[in-house]
Order: sequence, then C-alpha cells, then structure tokens
Amino acid sequence: MSKIIAVHSYKGGTGKTSMAVNIAATLAKNGKKVCLFDLDFRAPSLFAILKAQNVETWFNDYLNNSCEIDKAIVDMSPRIPGSGKFYACLANPSTEAIRDMSSKDRKWEMRALGRILALRESLLRDQKFDYLVFDTSPGLQYSSINAIVAADFVVVATTGDRSDVDGTKRMLAELYNLFEKKTGLVLNKVLDPSLSSRKTEMQTKIKADYKVPMLGMVPCFCEVLRAEGNFIFAQDKPDHPFTKIVAEMVKKIETNDVN
Amino acid sequence: MKNNSGIKVIRNDLSSKKPLNILEKIEESLEKLNEKMEVMIEIQKNSPANPNPHNVPAIPDASLDVMTLLSMPDHLRKTAMTICRCSKATAEEVAEQTQRARAVESAYLNQLVIMGYIKKERKGRKAYFYIDREAQS
Repeated sequence: MSKIIAVHSYKGGTGKTSMAVNIAATLAKNGKKVCLFDLDFRAPSLFAILKAQNVETWFNDYLNNSCEIDKAIVDMSPRIPGSGKFYACLANPSTEAIRDMSSKDRKWEMRALGRILALRESLLRDQKFDYLVFDTSPGLQYSSINAIVAADFVVVATTGDRSDVDGTKRMLAELYNLFEKKTGLVLNKVLDPSLSSRKTEMQTKIKADYKVPMLGMVPCFCEVLRAEGNFIFAQDKPDHPFTKIVAEMVKKIETNDVN
Repeated sequence: MKNNSGIKVIRNDLSSKKPLNILEKIEESLEKLNEKMEVMIEIQKNSPANPNPHNVPAIPDASLDVMTLLSMPDHLRKTAMTICRCSKATAEEVAEQTQRARAVESAYLNQLVIMGYIKKERKGRKAYFYIDREAQS
C-alpha cells in the first residue's frame, strides 16, 4: 500500500504544488492523518500557500540534523477542518536557507536521504500518520530524487507542452524505471475539453505513449489560475470539478487501483 | 619427540575447549572463505573486459547517494536500494526482499563493501550490512 506519495515533474509550472496540496487536503478530508512536505528547497512555496505563521523550525533543520521531526512539523488542521489531521513540514523560504541548501555536497545528500527514509519509522510507524505527501522541485535534483527513492508512489505531473513531453518520457524511462517506482501520470492543463469525455481512449494512449498508467486528467481551469493560490480547492471549493478530479485520483491511490 | 608433544598440545586444546566451539570456528572460517570466493566470482563475472579483480575501485567511505545509485549497474542498484531502505540487514534479509538467492545477495553486498559504499559488521555468526551515514562527515 502506498503510504509515501511524491509529486514530481520534469518541468516547472506543471501544477505539482497545487496537486500535492490538494491530494494531501483530500486525504485529510477523508479522515486521514497526513503530513505535506515541501522539498522544493530552491523555491519554497508551501509556506505561502498554507499561509503558515510563526514557523521557527523547518524541514531544512531536520535534514541538517539540528532537530527531530516533531519540531519541524506544524499542525495545520484548522486550515483543513474535518475528521482528519493535516500537518505540514515546510521548506525555509529565506534567501540564506536557499543558498545553504544549494551548496550541499553528495555526502550531505546521502545523509539527507537517510533522514527522509527514517520518516517511515518516526511518522508512519510511531506517530501513526496515514500518509506523507512530498512536493518536490522539478527535474533531476538531489532533493527530488531523494523523495522519489523514499516514496511508495510517484505522481508525475505533465502538460502537453513539447518542452515537457520528451523530458518527462525520458525521466520516466531513465529515473523511475531504474528505481522500480510505482508511478501514475497526471495530464494537467488539458485544453481540449472533449478529451476528458474520451477517458478510456486517452488512458490507453497515455499508457502506450509514456509507458506508465494514467492517474488522472485535469482540464485547464481558469478558476484555478484566477484563485492565484489563495484557495485550497479540495477544502475551499468542494463542488468544483477540479476538487472532484483530485478526489478520484486520491481514491485510486488509496485503493491501489492505478493501472 | 616433536610429534608427540604436538599431539599433546592438541589433546590439551581439545580437552580444555569444547569441540563444538572448534567446529563453530571452522564453520565461521569456511563461511568467510565462501563469501570471499563469491565476491571474486562476482567481480570476474561482471567485468569481462577487466579480468583483473584488483581493478575494482576501492574507495574508502564512498557516498551512497542517489546519483551514485542511478549510475550503478542494475544488479547492484537493487541490492544497494534494499540496504538504503532497511537500516541494517543480513544477506538473507536482503534476499527476501529482492527475491534473489542468498548467495547472490551476499556476493553483491560484499562487492558494495569493497567499493566502500556500505559497511559490514559481524555479530556472532551473522554478518550485518549497513550504510554508515553518520561517519561520513
């Protein structure tokens, strides 16, 4: 069963963060105890999206071995009311922290992988979290690959853009395959609305084309863009089609029905 | 005369130590020998262009980071990934997860030890393999 979910993409701007936040929020709404992690240390964004305040200890500190995980996670449950629990472990957005994280060497990255892998024991086993969701930075970087190695399931967000398609295919073949990761592709910002009505056909096409199962297809919603990151759709807009599509994807992940 | 005294020493040895202990020591030595041979066979098998087994890079405390994992040959990556996930494991435990033979995993693990990526520690009759992340600072 997939307990650690990483959301990744080849290019930036594919909707990773939006996907990660909404997947985590949907899981929390479904009554699960969830922690959402920001592993995009070069361009942290969860801090702003979740409107977190008074954060003193960051995920950076945990990876730097200067605190335990309990100190680095923030209870955001009031932001996502429901029967579940919603926690976040945020990346430090200060320029100094970003500079510090950009200058780490291979040995630090190796120890960081060890710290990320240890979350399975500290959070899933000991603190009874149901799911950990990793929001990563795009492309092949240490922090993202560390997240992928630690994850049980990788959600890959992609758009139809030429700059994205080829890179995504290569990444799927040369990265996820090597690590033998279970993967689901999310085709995001789909412009042709008729495609969603031809779901089965698209599913077969995607599987043949990208050689991985399709987790979902998200049309380009102007409302999502217009929201300017001010809403968590899964929470604030429960009846929006975007929320329903995410709910469907989460159901597939929860029931292990991605094929 | 010399022979007699030699026999006497062995007799004394046998009477002072339990024969079972001696057998266990022999078994342990045989296991060590076996592991060494498995490593040698494996190294030869995987480097046809390089018949000299001494050419395997012996990097002390090489870091087993994700980029290193990516650049590894498939058969070693599988073993290395398993050790990454379990903090400490025997060849048998690794074999259970990879569904390959214990002897095969033992050879791969020992190869990773020689390459400096993982460490090996003996506890009684069992050999444990682990990544020494903290020592590599």
